[in-house]
Amino acid sequence: MRIMTKRKFDGITIFLFLLPALILFIGILVAPLVTSGYYSFFEWKGFGDSTFIGIDNYKVLFKTFTHKNAEVPFLWAARNALILALCSLLIQLPISLGLALLLGKGFKGERFFLSVNFLPVLISTVVIGQLWKKIYYPDGGLLNTILRKVGYLKADQPDITWLAEKGADGKSYLLGSVIVPMLWQYVGYHMLLMYAGVKSVPPELREAAKIDGATDWQVDRFIVIPSMKQIIKVSVIFSVTGSLKSYDLVAILGTNKTRVAAVPSTLLMDQMTAWGRYGMGSAIAVLLIIMCFFFAILIGELFKDREKV
Amino acid sequence: MKKILATLLVIATAISLCACNPKGDDKITLTMWCIATKSDSNRASYEKAIEEMGKKYPDIKLDWSATENEAYKTKIKTAVSGNSMPDIFFTWSCAFLGDFVKADKVYCLDTAYAKFANDLDAKMCKNTTYDGKKYGVPLTMNIVGLFANMDILKEVGYNDVPGTYKELIECCDKLVAAGKIPFGCAGKETWCVTEYLESIIEKSCGAKTLDDIFVNGATWDNADVAKAVDIFQEMITKKYFDPNGVALSNDEIKANFMAGKYAFYMNGTWNCADFAKTEGLNVKVAEFPVIDSSKSKLGQLIGGPSDTLAVAKSSKNAEKAAEYTFELGKLICKYGYLDGCGLPAWKVDYDESSVNALTQSVAKIVAASDYMVLFGDTAMPSEEAQKYLEFVAKVYTSEVNGKQFTDGLKAAIR
Repeated sequence: MRIMTKRKFDGITIFLFLLPALILFIGILVAPLVTSGYYSFFEWKGFGDSTFIGIDNYKVLFKTFTHKNAEVPFLWAARNALILALCSLLIQLPISLGLALLLGKGFKGERFFLSVNFLPVLISTVVIGQLWKKIYYPDGGLLNTILRKVGYLKADQPDITWLAEKGADGKSYLLGSVIVPMLWQYVGYHMLLMYAGVKSVPPELREAAKIDGATDWQVDRFIVIPSMKQIIKVSVIFSVTGSLKSYDLVAILGTNKTRVAAVPSTLLMDQMTAWGRYGMGSAIAVLLIIMCFFFAILIGELFKDREKV
Repeated sequence: MKKILATLLVIATAISLCACNPKGDDKITLTMWCIATKSDSNRASYEKAIEEMGKKYPDIKLDWSATENEAYKTKIKTAVSGNSMPDIFFTWSCAFLGDFVKADKVYCLDTAYAKFANDLDAKMCKNTTYDGKKYGVPLTMNIVGLFANMDILKEVGYNDVPGTYKELIECCDKLVAAGKIPFGCAGKETWCVTEYLESIIEKSCGAKTLDDIFVNGATWDNADVAKAVDIFQEMITKKYFDPNGVALSNDEIKANFMAGKYAFYMNGTWNCADFAKTEGLNVKVAEFPVIDSSKSKLGQLIGGPSDTLAVAKSSKNAEKAAEYTFELGKLICKYGYLDGCGLPAWKVDYDESSVNALTQSVAKIVAASDYMVLFGDTAMPSEEAQKYLEFVAKVYTSEVNGKQFTDGLKAAIR
């Protein structure tokens, strides 16, 4: 009896200790998620009466692929987010890994180069956005000036409008122009994660491999990289879900109204704040959450298979 | 002993709390939300007005906060939705406030207005009147002005802003021939394109036609509107506009104009203060010339009172708040005008000689006007306004011509 009472008491204690975290979890994560799901079935301005419209909001989102004629170019925005995720995987992470392996070798000035590469992560995205706006500025911006100096742009040729939805030449460079600073900004972040992984490899393993005649590349390829698989997995998850959720740099360089470079989050903001379509915005939020969960689980599964092999 | 000490402590705490607000029972606290953040050009006028109101209404304490423009739209809509509105709130006129009025969330100001009718012309309340009832207190107002850099115009032989459309076109041709860019327009912010397009439509079709389309439910299927859009696109084709403008924001275009890159800049008259205080910048302001004199005339303008204060119906002191809001609105208007942040929607009964010359020029244009059509994206409900802005953006990038513009809007809106 006394044991039961103690167990009951322990249970209550554990519950009470967990309660604040549980309240926060339900209040901050679960409740908004359920509410978004609920409102996604309504036509609602954000106040006043709402009308139940079933899955009509979702139908609009999946109606047209191209950004030109779509009422809400969600599929186009999802495509852009996936392109960004792919670029992160194929460009950003290999650069981060390369830098981490290089800096992990422990040469003079290692700390300095580590800080320099990590610096963009510390700078506010708004500042980075303004910085890149200056680089992309059509008349006298850094990029166009360089292109003129090297002769790519002739004197009689007009400036390239990097951040235009559609430039005077009928082309749009906006998506690419947004992707470059996004990749650049977080190279240092992933580099730092991977650097920690490189440093955690016991030096004896490296030395043993060296004694066996392995080259530097072979040591990295067969000893270091396999040892940091878990860190690479975390980086891949952060990179992909971060790309899907991307918002700030797209909004600064392309504005919420961009169609060419739209990502789900800019569409969400535009639908809610400018169009006053809170139901539609909620539907986008729900799909965005589903996409993030899907890719996080998929990546986890992919790495699990590799581990078994 | 402990009980006695505890009782004494409670009494002492209660007394000290009462001492914090000796007139606690008499003083009313009103809450107000607005967009006059510290970086907003209207901030100073709000601060001066609120300080003066504190002396005039010692029995009222105003608890106010400001939120940035876009965030404010979400904030006020959320508050309306949750019935947690402040007593007084900033709003935009026409459709924005109209939605709240329709939802029965706004206090009718007809009774309070009667006391201020001599100072505030009823036509200034037109944009906040719904079903014949007034729901808003206008602050300053603005119109779209044609700003001209006179130093650049002098280089091509003009001492004044071209007064007719023919002269304007001749002037633009001379500027292009001299390697100058006549106009700058921010393609990144579509409302900036509407400042040009709406002026051209108004001066081609007449203010009544445009007003009917924006406010009174007339169809977009209008050949004159299509023709006006073609005129605008012809100006783009003739290289009157900076081709880089499609990638620039309004701040960048404005900075270029102030740096002497463009001869003209069509934008709101809230820019007067910035232009007037920039040393070495020789700017004049005029209204866009008439394109078709059989349908339009000078004195027909784009703009009007939009910045508004309103009172929540849920306010416990709505009657008192209504009177307070009129007084406050009048003072914000006064100080905003004196600071050059806009034109007075209220009658001027104070010395205005300190107002900059550019704003005074605009005041004369407004005084001589007889019709003002509110900015399209403010006049129309949000859904219609966004569809309209999408088509305007396509006009600027030449994705649609005049006929496609009117056909598209006819199908999308009316």
